[in-house]
Amino acid sequence: MRRRVASPRRLAGILLVLLGLLLVTAIVGLASGPSGLEPREVVNALLGRSAGPAADIVLRIRLPRVALAALVGGSLSVAGVLFQALLRNPLADPFVLGISGGAALGGILVLAFGSALGVAQSAVPWAAFAGALAATMLLFGVTGFGGRVSTTGLLLTGVVFNAFASAAIVFIASLAGLAEGASIFLWLIGNLSAGDLRMAGWVAALLAGGLACALPLARGLNLLALGEEQAGQLGVDVERHKRILLLATSLMVGAAVAVSGLVGFVGLIIPHLLRLLLGPDHRLLVPASALAGAAFLVLCDTAARTLLPGRELPVGAITALLGGPLFLFLLRRHHRSVYAPG
Amino acid sequence: MGPRIRRRLALPVLAASLLVAAAGPPRTSVAAEPAKPAARRIVSLNPSLTAILVALGVGDRLVGVDVWSHRQHPDLAALPTVGGLYNPSIEALVSVRPDLVVFVPSAEQREFQARLSELGVRVEAFDPLRFDEVLASIERLGRLAGAEERARGRTARIRAVRGSIERALDGQPRPRTVLILQRDPLFVVGGGNFIDEMLTSVGAANVAAGWTEPYPRVSLEWLVAQAPEVILDSSRDAQPPERYWARFESLPAVATGRIVRLPAGTATLPGPALDEALLLLARSVHGDVVRADDRLRSTLAAPAPKPISAGPTP
Repeated sequence: MRRRVASPRRLAGILLVLLGLLLVTAIVGLASGPSGLEPREVVNALLGRSAGPAADIVLRIRLPRVALAALVGGSLSVAGVLFQALLRNPLADPFVLGISGGAALGGILVLAFGSALGVAQSAVPWAAFAGALAATMLLFGVTGFGGRVSTTGLLLTGVVFNAFASAAIVFIASLAGLAEGASIFLWLIGNLSAGDLRMAGWVAALLAGGLACALPLARGLNLLALGEEQAGQLGVDVERHKRILLLATSLMVGAAVAVSGLVGFVGLIIPHLLRLLLGPDHRLLVPASALAGAAFLVLCDTAARTLLPGRELPVGAITALLGGPLFLFLLRRHHRSVYAPG
Repeated sequence: MGPRIRRRLALPVLAASLLVAAAGPPRTSVAAEPAKPAARRIVSLNPSLTAILVALGVGDRLVGVDVWSHRQHPDLAALPTVGGLYNPSIEALVSVRPDLVVFVPSAEQREFQARLSELGVRVEAFDPLRFDEVLASIERLGRLAGAEERARGRTARIRAVRGSIERALDGQPRPRTVLILQRDPLFVVGGGNFIDEMLTSVGAANVAAGWTEPYPRVSLEWLVAQAPEVILDSSRDAQPPERYWARFESLPAVATGRIVRLPAGTATLPGPALDEALLLLARSVHGDVVRADDRLRSTLAAPAPKPISAGPTP
């Protein structure tokens, strides 16, 4: 295996490149949309020098979406990296532990029954986040947060809870009407069209919290790849790592799902993509995932808004359509060097 | 033991139904019915068809309805339900021994039609999209249920109201208008359907009339760029529409306050009360003219066959 250790120089260089990529996609995202604003109008609107439709479109529609896409993409990718490392399972994605199932259940309860109960649709993110918190508590309750947290126990709890949540969602959807059904369907694929800047603030805070927990522990994550026992022998407080990171990651995933529904694929392929390109060092992988995931989802959401003028495509479908082939291509090229050492 | 109602709606079915709804299902022709005795035991699988039967005074011939009809017509609470819009239960349906089943062919219910026909149950599909097709389906349903006279009275009344409104509003400015069906995802009324035609009748210029789909999902940016002067919001979201749309200050409708909440289903149900729907839309778009017009008032004062409700508003 090519063991490329991140020197500070290499780390800074790669992160700068990814930051540049994120900026480019953000500019493209702000500049594109079905109303065909001129670049000059976009800049004027951003500088607060215009009123009228341009200001509404740039500041209240495009900017919140670009910001939200970046934050959700970053959160899901970082969550993917962390779950894959903690669970030592390459199939782990941000949704594997059932946090998303809880969030989806909370959000969909409001989507399905909110109008009948007089609860506004703007309550969906809050209900979804509450669902994510409940699922997190259940996860730790079942697997025992105090003592040793078993990886298998976590995975099993997550898989079973997700299955339960999907069944409950299908049941709820069958009770809902056509309009509610459309909302539920889109929410399950992932959708950023309802974004506003306040929501983006919440996601940003939890992403920052997640990064603040993960970055100091990145070295420990590298050693965890050797197995929990060996990592322990090398001085890593494995249980402490797991508890802190699981909690921080769960909150991050909860916030991302709450505002956007289940945007699939980002949290699975961006971490693997970066592992293929950059190697397995988590000191680099964690921040790189945040930036690359952000850039990728901004790009996908811009495509979702602009591919068919005036229409919206669900961003979750775009992430899979774009990400799948790209990932398989890279896997074919780099497979031997990273996943099949020797 | 009563029939067990199986609920077997799976998400793929829901998705497929939505896709079919978006693509526009194939339409059944509204040809003359062969003379048959009027149906006495009717099952309706669609709220708009149920509303028509109730409005024509033959609600007592209903022996079963779908769950949505049930919710919209509390007076039908005693009737057995035979499943939802997408998941009718064939067993529950057959057990009420209908001599006529009326339905709107969604993806799931189309297959259902073939299975019921095999069992020897008479099934009639209704899928009106244009204004005249809605009227034709009221008359056809009237013939089937032995209420032909009333049905013709109903459609005549609707036509009269439409004519009066069109005359009264002739020459009025036509504000750029959007009718919101749902906010997020954003669905609006497009072109080529009865709601679009009613908007034209009440002197509104539907900004989405250029869409070929009847009820397209559009992007928020597209809508803001259309700069509608009137927003008719029939979404079921609990947040008041004037608050929801206020964040887009550039919208002329926001600046002038011409944002109207339409009770969900009142203007958008292809049912028996298109006259009331037309009036509601006319008042929402040109309220001052409607109130001031004497001739329109006298048309509206003419006796209606029966007060009709398109279902309770949420």
